Amino acid sequence: MMSLLAAMSAGPDVPPMIAKLSIIVPEIVMFVGTCVVLMLGLSKTSTIRRASVGAAGLALIIAGIAAATGPQGVADSLLPHVMPYAKVLIAAVGFILLLLLTGTVDREVEAEADAGKPFDVLRANRAEFYAFFMFSLTGLMLCASADDLIWLFLALELTSLPTYVMVSISTARSRSQEAGVKYFFLGAFSAAMLLMGFTFIYGATGYTQLFGYHSIASVIGAQGSLGPIATLGFVMAIVGLCFKIAAVPMHFYTPDVYQGAAAGVSAMLAFVPKTAGFLGLMLLTSAVGWGLGGGYGLPSELRLLLWVVAALTMTFGNVLALMQRSVKRILAYSSIAHSGYMLVGIIAGPGAWGAGAPGNGLGAVLFYLMSYGVMNVGAFAVVASLEKQSGGEAEDVDDLRGLCKTHPLLGWIMVISSVTMLGLPFAIGFLGKFYLFTAGLRAGEVALIVVMGLNSAIAAFYYLRLAGAPLLEHRDEHEASLVVTAFNSRKLAGLISAVGVLALLPFADRLATLSDHAASYGASSEAAQASASQAEHVDARSVTDH
Amino acid sequence: MTLLDAIPTLSTLASGGAEHFAYHVAEAGPKWMALVPGLPLLGAVICLAMLLFKRDMGGRSRVPAYLVTALLGISFVVTLIGFLQWNHGQPWVVHAFEWINVAWGSGAGQSLQANASFYMDGLSWLWMLFVTGLGAAICLYASEYMANDKGYARFFSAFALFVVSMSCLVMGDNLVMLYLGWEGVGLCSYLLIGYFYTKPSAVAAAKKAFIVNRIGDLGLALGLYLTFTTFGTVQYDELFAMVSAGVDGSGHSLAGTWQATWIPLLLMIGAFGKSAQFPLYVWLPDAMEGPTPVSALIHAATMVTAGVYLIARMYPLFLMDEALTALHVVAYVGTFTAFLAATIGMAQFDIKRIMAYSTLSQLGYMFAGLGVLTTNGAAYHVFTHAFFKATLFLACGAVMHGFAGQLDLRKLSGLWNMKGWRIVSVAMLVGCLNLSGIPVITAGFWSKDMIIAEAFTTPNQVIAGSSLIGWVLLITAGMTAYYTFRVFFRVFVGPVEFEPGDEAHGHGDDDDHGHGGDDHGHAGHDAHGHGDGHFHPHAPGWAINFVLAALAIGSTVAILPNFMGDHGWVGGLLHDSTAFYQSGFGHHEAPAGEHALANSKMEVVPVAAHSAPAHGAPSHDSAPDAHAAGEVHANSFLGMNAHAVMYYVSTLFGLAGLAFAAYLHGPVGAWSFGIGNRTKAAVSRADGWKRAIGPIGRWAEHKWYVDEFYDLILRTPLRVIAHIFHAFDKLIIDGALVDGAGLLPRLLGRTLRPMQSGVLHGYATGMAAGIGIIVLIVLVMTLS
Repeated sequence: MMSLLAAMSAGPDVPPMIAKLSIIVPEIVMFVGTCVVLMLGLSKTSTIRRASVGAAGLALIIAGIAAATGPQGVADSLLPHVMPYAKVLIAAVGFILLLLLTGTVDREVEAEADAGKPFDVLRANRAEFYAFFMFSLTGLMLCASADDLIWLFLALELTSLPTYVMVSISTARSRSQEAGVKYFFLGAFSAAMLLMGFTFIYGATGYTQLFGYHSIASVIGAQGSLGPIATLGFVMAIVGLCFKIAAVPMHFYTPDVYQGAAAGVSAMLAFVPKTAGFLGLMLLTSAVGWGLGGGYGLPSELRLLLWVVAALTMTFGNVLALMQRSVKRILAYSSIAHSGYMLVGIIAGPGAWGAGAPGNGLGAVLFYLMSYGVMNVGAFAVVASLEKQSGGEAEDVDDLRGLCKTHPLLGWIMVISSVTMLGLPFAIGFLGKFYLFTAGLRAGEVALIVVMGLNSAIAAFYYLRLAGAPLLEHRDEHEASLVVTAFNSRKLAGLISAVGVLALLPFADRLATLSDHAASYGASSEAAQASASQAEHVDARSVTDH
Repeated sequence: MTLLDAIPTLSTLASGGAEHFAYHVAEAGPKWMALVPGLPLLGAVICLAMLLFKRDMGGRSRVPAYLVTALLGISFVVTLIGFLQWNHGQPWVVHAFEWINVAWGSGAGQSLQANASFYMDGLSWLWMLFVTGLGAAICLYASEYMANDKGYARFFSAFALFVVSMSCLVMGDNLVMLYLGWEGVGLCSYLLIGYFYTKPSAVAAAKKAFIVNRIGDLGLALGLYLTFTTFGTVQYDELFAMVSAGVDGSGHSLAGTWQATWIPLLLMIGAFGKSAQFPLYVWLPDAMEGPTPVSALIHAATMVTAGVYLIARMYPLFLMDEALTALHVVAYVGTFTAFLAATIGMAQFDIKRIMAYSTLSQLGYMFAGLGVLTTNGAAYHVFTHAFFKATLFLACGAVMHGFAGQLDLRKLSGLWNMKGWRIVSVAMLVGCLNLSGIPVITAGFWSKDMIIAEAFTTPNQVIAGSSLIGWVLLITAGMTAYYTFRVFFRVFVGPVEFEPGDEAHGHGDDDDHGHGGDDHGHAGHDAHGHGDGHFHPHAPGWAINFVLAALAIGSTVAILPNFMGDHGWVGGLLHDSTAFYQSGFGHHEAPAGEHALANSKMEVVPVAAHSAPAHGAPSHDSAPDAHAAGEVHANSFLGMNAHAVMYYVSTLFGLAGLAFAAYLHGPVGAWSFGIGNRTKAAVSRADGWKRAIGPIGRWAEHKWYVDEFYDLILRTPLRVIAHIFHAFDKLIIDGALVDGAGLLPRLLGRTLRPMQSGVLHGYATGMAAGIGIIVLIVLVMTLS
């Protein structure tokens, strides 16, 4: 195994580039798909323009299949098995998000084109919109493949940059543009922080490579501690990543941007940058390792940092959500809170070297990302599907009243997703939280778990409001009734989310095992040995030629 | 099964004077026995489906009634065929399907197996024969009785489900099946008592029955659990094999263990609840709010005997305890219930309620019988009682049906002489004779006598105070004859008078419905309206008459089993069951002619052999001194052999009660042997007597204020506690804790909210400040 690793990292006969290419097949598929979408979307023919969504979906499906059937593990990696899991998840959730995004842009332009006016390419946004969506997902997949600080930075920015544009063009209202501009400036600020952190890390260790014989991980391992410079670097990098996951103190933008963007784009913002941020966090913390903090913990500075950030994030998110009336703002704050929960898994880490499935914090984070990705779409889909007669989204909580009676499908989707996000037992969200709890307790973070428990209780206030309004309350007679969107695919996205939340339950055990396997930590010798046979098998098939 | 192999041969069982239950290895029975509960289940499902899919024509469809009657009839025939094919001696175990089979270890008691299997021994056969037989008959009766009631299909669905549950209870081959059936019959009882769910009193009665039964069920559940933890199994064959060997699940002796005392005591509490024994009897009289067929089948003939069944089935466990603690309690409580219910029954005016109290009283007899060690007497009384009490209830029901719900014996008179009521009256007479224990010609006489005689025979050293029990039961027999014939003399003979009740339900003729409502407006004033101008009593039709006649004949035919075989037919069945216990203090099952011989059969037995049925138990020789030292003689009735003279003594008491009833309530004429003087429905010689005894009669009429007492000591404190808890919940939990807890996040949110100003550079400043603070802290930590 070790010789294999050596051969792989320094092997003269296999160009590193070729080896890399084989693991980014899904990204390549995505990129090709993006180009096709971009070109199709600019066509003068309406049918071809509309086909761009189909092309995007097709690319996602192929990328997902490629990820599922491609290399299952990469030997010289911090998290050797994370790639297939993350990429399949990204492709799957991306597909649901794509359904939700239909009809977001260009409705007026298309209406005019249908009315016989010539199609104005310069006014149309469709091509950019879907292409940027695909670009963002490509960047997200690349985050999962990253093994180098520069790669990671580029991937993160590839994920983020398109979303700035998408927010701005998602509606014609000035609020969207304001949100887009805010998002861009604050995003740029955070990217600067991130880059500065990376610079410090490079300065302290002399490497950008995350893992290997000559890498950040090896230097830190050899030193046995983080020096002040490296600590500063990791702190700034983590803070920079906090922007992606919408954690304190980088969370300010979240409610404004979510509210300003169209609901579909908000749903995407709740999943895509968050997943990128957590993949980045997993890689960075893995490079530091959980062996330096005494026992199985992060170095005390980083642990403290993440601890405080986690506690503040979940508390801020939940208490501020209480004050909101807008469903999108509630969901934005709840998205902040969920990031706080997931940070617990990062702090807990993968546990003792070679620990089995239960209590793997990183596995819990991956499982939670999966469940959050599925359940989050449902709530946004309901908002995306309802419009007021006066135009605009019906985003006030009161607009949801009696929805189970007036629009049973949407009402029940709302009920199911809020109850799931609340973490009511025997829904997938409960299991996600349960695994985080287990991991936190296993790592001895009792105080943080208590904070998390209290926060879950606070969260019940607004989630039950979201569930109760459609189910238990009645719509006033005199209120104008809501119009359901003509885009059935949005309802389909909600339906998939609600059904998925329930349908995944029987497979939760299997999914948890998969998450834990995906989160197995490369620096652990036992984990490496455990995965050796599989890695060899995979390597022989796809990564190397010997 | 390895456990069974380890148990020594069971032929080493009791010698000495007392015979005990002998464990028989079961043989596999035919699978079609599963049809017995299966067919009624099918009926219940079909009725329910008709109801759900609205195929019952708004309650006018007769299909549910005839379907369920037919299925119950087939079920009875299947039971009968099975019984005839059954080889006496060996129980059948019929395996239907695997139900519960879990193991959490390989040791003893670390697995739980409870299959949907049926255990058919003498006891199960006896119960199943009358459960299915009476079930079919009463169902046929109900097809007419329940006509024109909304929810016809609902009634028959619950009715069929009851038979299913009762079959599970009686036929189950393990305690879990028994418990399933036990709760099932409780549920059906609840559903059927509350059948007229728009009537508040019916709903209250249903709730009362259910809640009081829960108390008993708690005892049963604990008893079953203790049985499981003690023996490590709930299957009858394994369980009784261990009990007959005197060992528990891990092979230790049972003698003197606390489990040996407590398992029977807990099971007994369950039996008290279901069979309405003191102090849990209060639900049964109220249960008469249900339709009369339900009262007849569930609350007289079958379900309420489930407690008797339970004790009889578990009799080996009751005998585990050397002091027979539980059986003492059973005997005393049964006797007291018999007496108490009789006193209340004497003072009631509602004939259905009188029957309800007589049921309580007779159940008391059965428990007393179990307590004084005559399972045979108890089971035979269950059997005869099932017939004659069903007859009585159905006759009362026919009256209620025909007179628009009228049940007050002061407002009805002379049904014998009314057109179309002769069969009802004759059936009522047969039932009354049986209940009163009129000698020789009634089955009730033989079965009741068996219990009383055994009470006098059983030595006081075995069941302390058994003679007293005998005397109380004798006196109660006299009281029973009195209140029974009080009903007959008042309602069925004498001058023809009636006043309709105020219920619209149950009218057969359409024209009754039209003015049924205005009838009772003046009927109240015109108390003696002979054949009230508007109201026509609705004489029963063929179904009711046929069933009544059949049951009256059945009640009489039930005498015959007493003369079949050495111990009677029932005794023979019980011999082949777990309930078998032959005390050896004298044979009491012998027919009258053999009584002279009974003396010579009286035996002297060492008490240890009697009170330590768990043979092979080492404690044999270390039995308490007081017992071991002496030899116990069978008791006697005033120095005479109780079995020989009891027939005459109880005859005396019964006839005295009858004569008393005739004197106080009998009409002028031959019916009351010339001693009665009643000429009106409402007035009788008893009214003067009642004034003479003062408040006692009034107290008895008010059921000795037991309900009010329970209300005071149980419900009122609970209500007060509930109010306190409610206030606590409102003020502290909801107020301080919940609202307070909600306040904190809100306050926090309000504090944090201004930070979300929406201003870009505000956000950027916040982010920069946050980063600055974090970096500062971390650097200080690192450098320090």
